[in-house]
Amino acid sequence: MPGPSLISDYLADLSADLPGRIVEELADGLDETFHRCLGQGLNPEAAARAAVAEFGEPRVIVAAFTDASRGRRTARRLLSAGPAVGLCWGVVLITARAWQWPVPIIARVLFGVALITVIGLLAAAAVSRRYRLVSRAAAAACLGTTLLDAAMIGTVLVSAPVLTWPAAVAVVVSAGRSGFALRNARHALAG
Amino acid sequence: MRAEELKGHLDALLLAALEDGPQHGYAVMEALRQSTAGRLDLPTGTIYPALHRLEAAGLIAGSWSVVAGRRRRVYQLTAAGAGALSGKRADWRDFATMMSAALGGGPCPDPA
Repeated sequence: MPGPSLISDYLADLSADLPGRIVEELADGLDETFHRCLGQGLNPEAAARAAVAEFGEPRVIVAAFTDASRGRRTARRLLSAGPAVGLCWGVVLITARAWQWPVPIIARVLFGVALITVIGLLAAAAVSRRYRLVSRAAAAACLGTTLLDAAMIGTVLVSAPVLTWPAAVAVVVSAGRSGFALRNARHALAG
Repeated sequence: MRAEELKGHLDALLLAALEDGPQHGYAVMEALRQSTAGRLDLPTGTIYPALHRLEAAGLIAGSWSVVAGRRRRVYQLTAAGAGALSGKRADWRDFATMMSAALGGGPCPDPA
Protein backbone atom coordinates (compact mmCIF):
# COMPACT_ATOMS: atom_id res chain seq x y z
CA MET A 1 0.00 0.00 0.00
CA PRO A 2 1.46 3.42 -0.85
CA GLY A 3 1.93 5.79 2.07
CA PRO A 4 4.37 6.74 4.77
CA SER A 5 6.72 4.18 6.22
CA LEU A 6 4.80 4.26 9.51
CA ILE A 7 1.89 2.51 7.81
CA SER A 8 4.19 0.03 6.06
CA ASP A 9 5.86 -0.78 9.39
CA TYR A 10 2.47 -1.20 11.05
CA LEU A 11 1.32 -3.63 8.36
CA ALA A 12 4.63 -5.48 8.58
CA ASP A 13 4.01 -5.97 12.32
CA LEU A 14 0.61 -7.46 11.54
CA SER A 15 2.04 -9.62 8.75
CA ALA A 16 4.45 -11.21 11.18
CA ASP A 17 1.54 -12.90 12.96
CA LEU A 18 -1.49 -12.85 10.69
CA PRO A 19 -2.24 -14.54 7.32
CA GLY A 20 -1.97 -12.45 4.15
CA ARG A 21 -5.70 -12.35 3.43
CA ILE A 22 -6.40 -10.83 6.88
CA VAL A 23 -3.59 -8.28 6.53
CA GLU A 24 -4.95 -7.40 3.08
CA GLU A 25 -8.35 -6.66 4.60
CA LEU A 26 -6.81 -4.60 7.41
CA ALA A 27 -4.63 -2.72 4.90
CA ASP A 28 -7.75 -1.69 3.00
CA GLY A 29 -9.35 -0.31 6.16
CA LEU A 30 -6.14 1.41 7.22
CA ASP A 31 -5.83 3.02 3.80
CA GLU A 32 -9.40 4.34 4.09
CA THR A 33 -8.61 5.72 7.53
CA PHE A 34 -5.38 7.32 6.27
CA HIS A 35 -7.15 9.03 3.38
CA ARG A 36 -9.93 10.28 5.63
CA CYS A 37 -7.28 11.84 7.87
CA LEU A 38 -5.62 13.40 4.81
CA GLY A 39 -9.00 14.80 3.83
CA GLN A 40 -9.23 16.46 7.24
CA GLY A 41 -6.19 18.55 6.35
CA LEU A 42 -3.42 16.57 8.06
CA ASN A 43 -0.07 16.18 6.32
CA PRO A 44 0.85 12.61 5.27
CA GLU A 45 2.99 11.87 8.34
CA ALA A 46 0.38 13.20 10.76
CA ALA A 47 -2.38 11.40 8.86
CA ALA A 48 -0.43 8.14 9.09
CA ARG A 49 0.11 8.61 12.84
CA ALA A 50 -3.60 9.35 13.33
CA ALA A 51 -4.67 6.37 11.21
CA VAL A 52 -2.38 3.95 13.03
CA ALA A 53 -3.49 5.29 16.43
CA GLU A 54 -7.13 4.95 15.44
CA PHE A 55 -6.62 1.36 14.27
CA GLY A 56 -5.14 0.23 17.59
CA GLU A 57 -2.04 -1.64 18.72
CA PRO A 58 -1.04 -4.58 16.46
CA ARG A 59 -0.75 -6.95 19.44
CA VAL A 60 -4.35 -6.17 20.46
CA ILE A 61 -5.60 -6.81 16.92
CA VAL A 62 -3.58 -10.04 16.62
CA ALA A 63 -4.90 -11.23 20.00
CA ALA A 64 -8.49 -10.53 18.93
CA PHE A 65 -8.03 -12.40 15.66
CA THR A 66 -6.40 -15.29 17.52
CA ASP A 67 -9.34 -15.54 19.92
CA ALA A 68 -11.77 -15.51 16.98
CA SER A 69 -9.80 -18.07 14.96
CA ARG A 70 -11.12 -21.46 13.94
CA GLY A 71 -8.08 -23.16 15.46
CA ARG A 72 -8.79 -21.66 18.89
CA ARG A 73 -12.45 -22.70 18.86
CA THR A 74 -11.65 -26.19 17.59
CA ALA A 75 -8.95 -26.72 20.22
CA ARG A 76 -11.25 -25.61 23.03
CA ARG A 77 -14.05 -27.90 21.86
CA LEU A 78 -11.71 -30.88 21.58
CA LEU A 79 -10.28 -30.13 25.02
CA SER A 80 -13.73 -29.91 26.58
CA ALA A 81 -14.82 -33.16 24.89
CA GLY A 82 -11.63 -34.99 25.88
CA PRO A 83 -12.62 -36.04 29.43
CA ALA A 84 -15.93 -37.52 28.25
CA VAL A 85 -14.29 -39.49 25.44
CA GLY A 86 -11.52 -40.59 27.82
CA LEU A 87 -14.11 -41.75 30.34
CA CYS A 88 -15.84 -43.85 27.68
CA TRP A 89 -12.57 -45.53 26.76
CA GLY A 90 -11.57 -45.92 30.42
CA VAL A 91 -14.73 -47.91 31.11
CA VAL A 92 -14.04 -50.08 28.07
CA LEU A 93 -10.41 -50.76 28.99
CA ILE A 94 -11.20 -51.62 32.60
CA THR A 95 -14.26 -53.78 31.96
CA ALA A 96 -12.50 -55.63 29.12
CA ARG A 97 -9.29 -56.11 31.19
CA ALA A 98 -7.29 -54.39 28.47
CA TRP A 99 -4.01 -55.05 30.29
CA GLN A 100 -4.41 -58.67 29.20
CA TRP A 101 -4.70 -57.76 25.49
CA PRO A 102 -1.79 -58.79 23.25
CA VAL A 103 -0.65 -55.22 22.60
CA PRO A 104 3.17 -54.76 22.57
CA ILE A 105 4.55 -52.54 25.30
CA ILE A 106 6.20 -50.26 22.73
CA ALA A 107 2.80 -49.63 21.15
CA ARG A 108 1.37 -48.72 24.57
CA VAL A 109 4.25 -46.32 25.25
CA LEU A 110 3.95 -44.72 21.81
CA PHE A 111 0.21 -44.25 22.32
CA GLY A 112 0.82 -42.58 25.68
CA VAL A 113 3.44 -40.23 24.23
CA ALA A 114 1.15 -39.36 21.31
CA LEU A 115 -1.75 -38.70 23.69
CA ILE A 116 0.33 -36.35 25.83
CA THR A 117 1.62 -34.58 22.71
CA VAL A 118 -1.89 -34.04 21.37
CA ILE A 119 -3.09 -32.68 24.72
CA GLY A 120 -0.09 -30.33 24.78
CA LEU A 121 -0.85 -29.11 21.25
CA LEU A 122 -4.50 -28.53 22.13
CA ALA A 123 -3.53 -26.62 25.28
CA ALA A 124 -1.14 -24.45 23.27
CA ALA A 125 -3.82 -23.75 20.66
CA ALA A 126 -6.33 -22.94 23.40
CA VAL A 127 -4.25 -20.33 25.22
CA SER A 128 -1.48 -19.01 22.94
CA ARG A 129 -1.79 -15.42 21.72
CA ARG A 130 0.16 -16.16 18.53
CA TYR A 131 -2.17 -16.65 15.60
CA ARG A 132 0.04 -18.87 13.47
CA LEU A 133 1.03 -21.07 16.40
CA VAL A 134 -2.64 -21.54 17.29
CA SER A 135 -3.55 -22.49 13.71
CA ARG A 136 -0.70 -24.95 13.29
CA ALA A 137 -1.02 -26.50 16.76
CA ALA A 138 -4.78 -26.94 16.30
CA ALA A 139 -4.36 -28.54 12.87
CA ALA A 140 -1.68 -30.92 14.15
CA ALA A 141 -3.80 -31.76 17.20
CA CYS A 142 -6.80 -32.49 14.95
CA LEU A 143 -4.77 -34.96 12.91
CA GLY A 144 -3.30 -36.45 16.08
CA THR A 145 -6.73 -36.84 17.64
CA THR A 146 -7.95 -38.64 14.52
CA LEU A 147 -4.98 -41.03 14.59
CA LEU A 148 -5.45 -41.72 18.33
CA ASP A 149 -9.15 -42.40 17.85
CA ALA A 150 -8.41 -44.68 14.89
CA ALA A 151 -5.80 -46.54 16.95
CA MET A 152 -8.22 -47.06 19.84
CA ILE A 153 -11.06 -48.18 17.58
CA GLY A 154 -8.78 -50.55 15.65
CA THR A 155 -7.29 -51.99 18.82
CA VAL A 156 -10.67 -52.68 20.38
CA LEU A 157 -12.07 -54.24 17.24
CA VAL A 158 -9.02 -56.51 16.88
CA SER A 159 -8.16 -57.29 20.50
CA ALA A 160 -11.41 -57.30 22.47
CA PRO A 161 -12.96 -60.77 22.70
CA VAL A 162 -16.50 -59.41 22.26
CA LEU A 163 -17.89 -56.00 21.38
CA THR A 164 -19.64 -54.88 24.56
CA TRP A 165 -22.06 -51.94 24.66
CA PRO A 166 -19.55 -49.66 26.43
CA ALA A 167 -17.11 -50.44 23.60
CA ALA A 168 -19.79 -49.70 21.01
CA VAL A 169 -20.51 -46.35 22.70
CA ALA A 170 -16.81 -45.49 22.84
CA VAL A 171 -16.33 -46.38 19.17
CA VAL A 172 -19.26 -44.19 18.12
CA VAL A 173 -18.11 -41.27 20.32
CA SER A 174 -14.54 -41.56 19.04
CA ALA A 175 -15.66 -41.80 15.42
CA GLY A 176 -17.77 -38.68 15.88
CA ARG A 177 -14.85 -36.81 17.42
CA SER A 178 -12.56 -37.93 14.59
CA GLY A 179 -15.03 -36.61 12.03
CA PHE A 180 -15.16 -33.26 13.82
CA ALA A 181 -11.35 -33.12 14.07
CA LEU A 182 -10.83 -34.00 10.40
CA ARG A 183 -13.40 -31.45 9.22
CA ASN A 184 -11.71 -28.72 11.23
CA ALA A 185 -8.05 -29.60 10.59
CA ARG A 186 -7.93 -27.87 7.21
CA HIS A 187 -9.99 -24.90 8.39
CA ALA A 188 -7.76 -24.48 11.45
CA LEU A 189 -4.69 -24.32 9.25
CA ALA A 190 -6.39 -21.85 6.91
CA GLY A 191 -7.36 -19.74 9.94
CA MET B 1 -18.06 4.32 25.45
CA ARG B 2 -14.96 2.11 25.77
CA ALA B 3 -14.39 -1.42 24.46
CA GLU B 4 -14.73 -3.15 27.86
CA GLU B 5 -18.13 -1.51 28.41
CA LEU B 6 -19.28 -2.89 25.07
CA LYS B 7 -18.69 -6.53 26.01
CA GLY B 8 -21.66 -8.56 24.91
CA HIS B 9 -23.15 -5.71 22.87
CA LEU B 10 -20.62 -5.34 20.06
CA ASP B 11 -22.16 -8.19 18.06
CA ALA B 12 -25.57 -6.51 18.10
CA LEU B 13 -24.04 -3.19 17.04
CA LEU B 14 -22.20 -4.82 14.12
CA LEU B 15 -25.28 -6.73 12.99
CA ALA B 16 -27.33 -3.52 13.16
CA ALA B 17 -24.69 -1.66 11.13
CA LEU B 18 -25.04 -4.27 8.38
CA GLU B 19 -28.84 -4.22 8.41
CA ASP B 20 -29.10 -1.62 5.65
CA GLY B 21 -26.88 -3.54 3.23
CA PRO B 22 -23.40 -4.95 2.58
CA GLN B 23 -20.46 -2.97 3.97
CA HIS B 24 -16.72 -3.38 4.33
CA GLY B 25 -15.03 -3.20 7.73
CA TYR B 26 -14.13 0.47 7.64
CA ALA B 27 -17.65 1.43 6.51
CA VAL B 28 -19.10 -0.63 9.37
CA MET B 29 -16.95 1.33 11.82
CA GLU B 30 -18.02 4.63 10.26
CA ALA B 31 -21.67 3.58 10.47
CA LEU B 32 -21.19 2.78 14.16
CA ARG B 33 -19.55 6.15 14.78
CA GLN B 34 -22.43 7.95 13.11
CA SER B 35 -25.14 5.94 14.81
CA THR B 36 -23.54 6.54 18.22
CA ALA B 37 -22.80 10.20 17.51
CA GLY B 38 -19.07 9.57 17.87
CA ARG B 39 -19.31 8.18 21.41
CA LEU B 40 -17.94 4.77 20.45
CA ASP B 41 -14.27 4.66 21.52
CA LEU B 42 -13.16 1.44 19.87
CA PRO B 43 -9.93 0.80 17.91
CA THR B 44 -10.96 0.33 14.28
CA GLY B 45 -8.68 -2.69 13.99
CA THR B 46 -10.69 -4.64 16.55
CA ILE B 47 -13.83 -4.45 14.41
CA TYR B 48 -12.35 -6.89 11.90
CA PRO B 49 -11.82 -9.88 14.26
CA ALA B 50 -15.39 -9.38 15.51
CA LEU B 51 -16.64 -9.48 11.91
CA HIS B 52 -14.67 -12.70 11.33
CA ARG B 53 -16.21 -14.21 14.47
CA LEU B 54 -19.73 -13.32 13.29
CA GLU B 55 -18.92 -14.77 9.88
CA ALA B 56 -17.74 -18.03 11.45
CA ALA B 57 -21.00 -18.15 13.40
CA GLY B 58 -22.96 -17.82 10.15
CA LEU B 59 -24.55 -14.50 11.16
CA ILE B 60 -22.87 -12.54 8.36
CA ALA B 61 -21.35 -13.63 5.03
CA GLY B 62 -18.13 -12.18 3.67
CA SER B 63 -17.01 -11.94 0.07
CA TRP B 64 -14.16 -10.25 -1.80
CA SER B 65 -14.74 -7.52 -4.33
CA VAL B 66 -12.34 -5.27 -6.23
CA VAL B 67 -12.54 -1.51 -5.68
CA ALA B 68 -10.16 0.85 -7.47
CA GLY B 69 -7.88 -2.08 -8.26
CA ARG B 70 -7.70 -3.19 -4.64
CA ARG B 71 -9.36 -6.24 -3.10
CA ARG B 72 -11.94 -5.44 -0.44
CA ARG B 73 -13.77 -7.77 1.95
CA VAL B 74 -17.48 -6.96 2.11
CA TYR B 75 -19.94 -8.38 4.64
CA GLN B 76 -23.68 -8.78 4.57
CA LEU B 77 -26.26 -9.98 7.03
CA THR B 78 -27.48 -13.58 6.61
CA ALA B 79 -30.98 -14.77 7.44
CA ALA B 80 -29.61 -16.21 10.68
CA GLY B 81 -27.96 -12.86 11.42
CA ALA B 82 -31.20 -10.99 10.85
CA GLY B 83 -32.93 -13.36 13.28
CA ALA B 84 -30.16 -12.94 15.82
CA LEU B 85 -30.41 -9.15 15.53
CA SER B 86 -34.15 -9.28 16.21
CA GLY B 87 -33.50 -11.40 19.28
CA LYS B 88 -30.78 -9.08 20.55
CA ARG B 89 -33.07 -6.07 20.07
CA ALA B 90 -35.82 -7.75 22.07
CA ASP B 91 -33.34 -8.73 24.80
CA TRP B 92 -32.01 -5.17 24.96
CA ARG B 93 -35.50 -3.68 25.26
CA ASP B 94 -36.29 -6.09 28.12
CA PHE B 95 -32.99 -5.24 29.82
CA ALA B 96 -33.46 -1.48 29.39
CA THR B 97 -37.03 -1.66 30.70
CA MET B 98 -35.91 -3.69 33.72
CA MET B 99 -33.02 -1.33 34.50
CA SER B 100 -35.18 1.77 34.11
CA ALA B 101 -37.74 0.33 36.50
CA ALA B 102 -35.05 -0.71 39.00
CA LEU B 103 -33.15 2.54 38.93
CA GLY B 104 -36.27 4.62 39.41
CA GLY B 105 -37.45 7.81 37.82
CA GLY B 106 -34.55 10.07 38.72
CA PRO B 107 -33.22 12.39 36.10
CA CYS B 108 -30.77 10.90 33.63
CA PRO B 109 -27.24 12.30 34.02
CA ASP B 110 -26.15 14.72 31.37
CA PRO B 111 -23.72 12.80 29.11
CA ALA B 112 -21.85 16.04 28.52
